Amino acid sequence: MKSTKFWIVLIAVLLCVCLAASILVLGGKTQSTTAHLYQGGALVRTIDLSQVNEPFSFTVEGPAGSNTVQVESGRIRVSHADCPDQVCVHQGWISNSVAPIVCLPNQLVIQIGGSPSETEIDGVSG
Amino acid sequence: MKHTSLRHLTYMAVLTAVALTIFVIEAQLPALAPIPGIKLGLANIVTVYAVFALGPGQAAGILLARILLGSLFAGGMTIFYSLAGGLCCYLVTLVLYKLVGGKQIWVCSVMGAMAHNAGQIAVAVAITRTPGVLAYLPILLVSGILTGLFTGLCAQFLLSRLPKAGPPNGRP
Repeated sequence: MKSTKFWIVLIAVLLCVCLAASILVLGGKTQSTTAHLYQGGALVRTIDLSQVNEPFSFTVEGPAGSNTVQVESGRIRVSHADCPDQVCVHQGWISNSVAPIVCLPNQLVIQIGGSPSETEIDGVSG
Repeated sequence: MKHTSLRHLTYMAVLTAVALTIFVIEAQLPALAPIPGIKLGLANIVTVYAVFALGPGQAAGILLARILLGSLFAGGMTIFYSLAGGLCCYLVTLVLYKLVGGKQIWVCSVMGAMAHNAGQIAVAVAITRTPGVLAYLPILLVSGILTGLFTGLCAQFLLSRLPKAGPPNGRP
């Protein structure tokens, strides 16, 4: 049996590591302006948010219902979802965040940048 | 599982009902944060309590019954997340069960909650087939440590205050 101090130190260290990683994820900004919509792992739509002048919205159908995705210049959000928890709606607008919008019931993920083809283009143009 | 007396069985059923009630009520609360998977996990108080008061085998029974019935109420894909998270949490709790003393029960809960979150994220990555979801792992782990600490202390408090009412050993 380890002393209580051992466990407190161990968990405090774990907490600090996870906190630091969380801050990196939440504070992280991507240079990309391209939003990728994935459903069930497949890329279903790519939108360059910097090219959007007129706001528009569209609906994505998933296994648990539909999500309405709203796009404005430089930002994107899920404005409506059929699921009861509404987590994706509450995530609000994202413009350059590393953390993606996730709707688990509909297996929908909206991520800014981060796709392999994106990095490739950056590599060529850079 | 050894011979289970009627009393023991009844006690397990009561604990399952308590856990299920907590689980269903908690599912009705609005999400704590706009991040998928963050919750208090109050039902785990019952699991941790059961591991220490009744033993690992019976705690597993209570946990499985709660997950299966709870998923019936919640519907959808909940069962995959709950099962993966619950089993990861249970295994870690089981390993630590032998290693901690009576004043360190909260450690089981903290580590278990972290395992629960890791299991959940693994299922989320598998279901959405999008590794980007992993970005939420550190945030979920932070929430797991904090909520696990809270539920663990609750369970520890419960165990110290319910020594006699705990596992009923008397004759039916």
